[in-house]
Amino acid sequence: MNRPVYLDYAATTPVDPRVAAAMTQCLTLEGEFGNPASASHAFGDAAGALVEAARAQVAASVGASPEEVVWTSGATEADNLAIFGVAQYYRESGRHIVTARTEHKAVLDPCRELQRRGWRVTYLTPDSGGVIHPDQVAAALQTDTVLVSIMHVNNEIGVIQDISSIAAICAQHGGARLHVDAAQSVGKCVIDFAALGVDLMSLSAHKAYGPKGVGALLVSRSGRGQRARVQLAALQFGGGQERGLRAGTVATHQVVGMGLAFALARATPPAESERVAAMRERLWQGLAALGGALRNGNAERSVPQVLNVSFEGVEGESLLAAVRGQLAVSTGSACTSALQEPSYVLRALGRDDILSESSLRFGLGRFTTERDIDTAVEVVGRAVSRLRRVSGA
Amino acid sequence: VTYSELTLHYFETAAGAGVLRGPGTCRGAAGSRTQGTWVQFDVQPGSGSIQAARFLAFGCPHTIAVSAWVVEQAIGRPVRAALPESVQELSGRFAVPIEKRGRLLIIEDAWVAALTVAMQR
Repeated sequence: MNRPVYLDYAATTPVDPRVAAAMTQCLTLEGEFGNPASASHAFGDAAGALVEAARAQVAASVGASPEEVVWTSGATEADNLAIFGVAQYYRESGRHIVTARTEHKAVLDPCRELQRRGWRVTYLTPDSGGVIHPDQVAAALQTDTVLVSIMHVNNEIGVIQDISSIAAICAQHGGARLHVDAAQSVGKCVIDFAALGVDLMSLSAHKAYGPKGVGALLVSRSGRGQRARVQLAALQFGGGQERGLRAGTVATHQVVGMGLAFALARATPPAESERVAAMRERLWQGLAALGGALRNGNAERSVPQVLNVSFEGVEGESLLAAVRGQLAVSTGSACTSALQEPSYVLRALGRDDILSESSLRFGLGRFTTERDIDTAVEVVGRAVSRLRRVSGA
Repeated sequence: VTYSELTLHYFETAAGAGVLRGPGTCRGAAGSRTQGTWVQFDVQPGSGSIQAARFLAFGCPHTIAVSAWVVEQAIGRPVRAALPESVQELSGRFAVPIEKRGRLLIIEDAWVAALTVAMQR
């Protein structure tokens, strides 16, 4: 049986074979299987050296210093460490947080939990293109704001936020630390952690051809203006690894995979981005020709790997069911039970429930071909036409 | 969401989709596109039984599949304001999750509305 065409790279990517090979070298007796924290013998030293080399690779790929990289189990843990860590450490300074309605659940859910514990959270609404304007952040800051959390690249619509301007506003405020969820960014756009002026940044390996189960939180060691460098309260204890911020044995094979994946992403030539951008345009032109196709997110401000489209006159669950045998894409609805709910991201952009549900997110990647794109246009076109005929639209 | 083979079959074929035209056509609809589920049935009665039936459905695969099955089963049946099977039976036949049973009630409302018109003629 033919596998469906994979166009869900924004959900996850396959591990690059070179990454997989490097990871397997850290698992068995012949490889570097030692505990990287075991300083008493050569096995530990060798594993520790690999961990530090991977740390340097990750740091170099995002413009950070190795000392700023804290390994985590993924971007979700990094987001949690950043949000709860700042909230806990600065709880006597203030209990107000600013974030956006279009953030990933890994940011929104911790914020909601903090609300339950007494913090106040301001949720910014983006414009119809999904952009949070820096002056919105400035207007939302209060004297006791301790954290601003704004993502870099949105996972559903691919829109890039103006992080450096937001960072400048936070630095001017003095008390507000800036956390950026950059889980979708590596391999899609250039990141310079130091130049952006961000305090905390969450990273994920599996969105960039690395393994699942590993990520990092970048913790800036630089102050911002008159403000001292950011501090975090640890959330887990038991060994003091990662400078006490994230206790637990570091998974050598995982971080080695992440390090190499990030190094490969950094080495990817600009032509690859242009290739993907051309395919996304080909996809959009093909879908637009169906009629009643609405592009979600500001096309001028989005990464080339993501295209999100709503289809008029089509019900979302049926659309996904009609294409799923031939196409692996994400729907704009969240399936938390048998009943699907409209995408909260698209709702925040002002789309109504029906259009929010009837959207598909196409995630393009390293292995996407023009043939995949043409297949996608054909499959979606057939499904949309049939469903419109069935509904009399 | 996973679907039974029967649901997928009727969802994918949707053989009775469309509208009927002519003076003998009786139409009933229920639900709302803006609410996510809308169903319309056209039936043509004759000699006390249903001669032809079509449906239009904006909704999930279960909604489309059950609507398609209803019009297929209706042909030749007596004109009476009831589905060929109860909502409960349809729910079991198509393995409709309990959260979606309300959509079967919309199908029932649309069908009963069309057949009520037919019975009044």
